[in-house]
Amino acid sequence: MAYFMVVLLDDSRMEKIKGTGLEEHIKYMFGGELRLLEVEVNEDLKNKILAEFETARVDSRGAITDVPVAFMRELFNQVVEKKSLGPEVVEGVLAKVGEIKEMAAKESEYLPPPEIEV
Amino acid sequence: MSSLLIERPLPHGGRLVERVIEDKRVARKIWKSCNAVYEIKPTLHYETGVPVRNVYREIMSICYGFFSPVEGSMKQAEVERVLKERRLLNEWIFPYPLIFDISKDDLNKLGVEVGDRLGLTLKGKPFAILDIEEIYEIDPEELAYKTFGDPETNPEVVQQKFDKKHPGWVIYRSHQPYVLAGKYTIINPPKLKPPFDRFWFPPRKSREEFEKRGWRTVINHQTRNVPHVGHEFLMKCAAFTGDVEPCHGILVNAVIGVKRRGDYPDEAIVEAHEAVNKYGYIKPERHLVSIVLWDMRYGNPLESLLHGIIRQNMGCTHHMFGRDHAAVGEYYDKFATQILWTKGIPSFGFPAPPTDVPYGLKIRPQNMREFSYCPTCKEMAYSETCGHKREKLSGSFLRGMVAEGVQPPSIIMRPEVYKVVVKWWKHFGYPFCNEKYVINKEKELEVDLEDL
Ligand SMILES: [Zn+2]
Repeated sequence: MAYFMVVLLDDSRMEKIKGTGLEEHIKYMFGGELRLLEVEVNEDLKNKILAEFETARVDSRGAITDVPVAFMRELFNQVVEKKSLGPEVVEGVLAKVGEIKEMAAKESEYLPPPEIEV
Repeated sequence: MSSLLIERPLPHGGRLVERVIEDKRVARKIWKSCNAVYEIKPTLHYETGVPVRNVYREIMSICYGFFSPVEGSMKQAEVERVLKERRLLNEWIFPYPLIFDISKDDLNKLGVEVGDRLGLTLKGKPFAILDIEEIYEIDPEELAYKTFGDPETNPEVVQQKFDKKHPGWVIYRSHQPYVLAGKYTIINPPKLKPPFDRFWFPPRKSREEFEKRGWRTVINHQTRNVPHVGHEFLMKCAAFTGDVEPCHGILVNAVIGVKRRGDYPDEAIVEAHEAVNKYGYIKPERHLVSIVLWDMRYGNPLESLLHGIIRQNMGCTHHMFGRDHAAVGEYYDKFATQILWTKGIPSFGFPAPPTDVPYGLKIRPQNMREFSYCPTCKEMAYSETCGHKREKLSGSFLRGMVAEGVQPPSIIMRPEVYKVVVKWWKHFGYPFCNEKYVINKEKELEVDLEDL
């Protein structure tokens, strides 16, 4: 089974990937309403993620989900930095695993809500 | 009148149990007659000490008739019969043991015996009484195993031995070893706190509401989730069942009780479902949101049986059941609930479906698969109808999107539903239930009580 992680693209993230050459890899879901990139994850990296983050799971499509938000933010940063969707992106994220776990611990207390009118 | 018309069923057991005293003068007299008083405590996880259940929710659901014909904490012979045949001593089917458990220490301190009346306080205020008919001892671990079944005894649907990763098993495992059995009576009805108060439709009231709205047929949607568009389509389309016309009403009944980390907060769940009708995705004339107090046992087919009982008591004619209904992990077959309602599960005491056994249910199951977005049909499509590749929407994918602060497209989650999620996110500082929420909720509960 091939594994992957989904990077969602809102407007601000779209700005940041402009010119990285990744635009052509953008996938659209839900009638074009959702833009995303899929980052490749190999068997070895999948196992590392599952071992490091107890909440992480693999869904029926092979997508790795339920990792901390800090992980997902760094995943996007690494995509931009490496200008790639290959396994080196997740390797880059896992290189910062200590930092991410520290942030993840705080995340279970508080997550900043989006600034929208309710 | 067409002979095909389906009538609103009688409550399970034939009549609604109502054991709530509203008259304060009467209540004060009864309270004075108590031999001892006991403050209700949350049931704490037998290992970690976090709250996993509060028996007050069972007392509420019993006394307001959600669990008719159950009237109190079960006697030993009744618990044994429920575990063996899933029947009460009066023959009516029922899935779970419901008991008032206390520790040996508390039993000694109270010094009560059979024939005594125990006053129960909640948050320090008089709440209910328990007329003790029997006192006995249980082995909580054995009770936990027997409640859910095992692969040897129930090979039709149980795939894996239960353990402490199953939250329902943990609830029973964490029970105290002494049981006071007897009928409960609420003598000081608690007030539901906002936003729950406007969703409180105990069976008598929900039946009156259906009558007022002219709803002869009503289909129930069980929930413990914020609705995404897949749920919305499930509700709309399942309602096309009925008799000579689609169901008149859709009742959303949210189970309010102890939460697990990662769930949406109960406040967000009820208001998000309300947003579905408030903003016209399903007309409010056809859609009603309600609650029941219960700490989910996640017993898949057994839980579905309880859900059927609750909603028949509320006056529903139909009940939607999905894949993995009220399930956690892989303990049961994914289709265990649908197997129960179409074929029966002999080892659980059902050689035929619960609607086809003596003293069974009248509510009709509507077994459903799922809706997901089809880019070819360009609409939310039913898995058993659409022949294209669809974009599956997993709950964890959606939760991830929300946690990252990305607003889901309206074809996945309606903007008004998302706003409700963000409203409670701002309130609690978190979009889902975290440890702080779980602990606070069990301290504050959903109710307040006045002095008697
Ligand atoms: Zn299609």
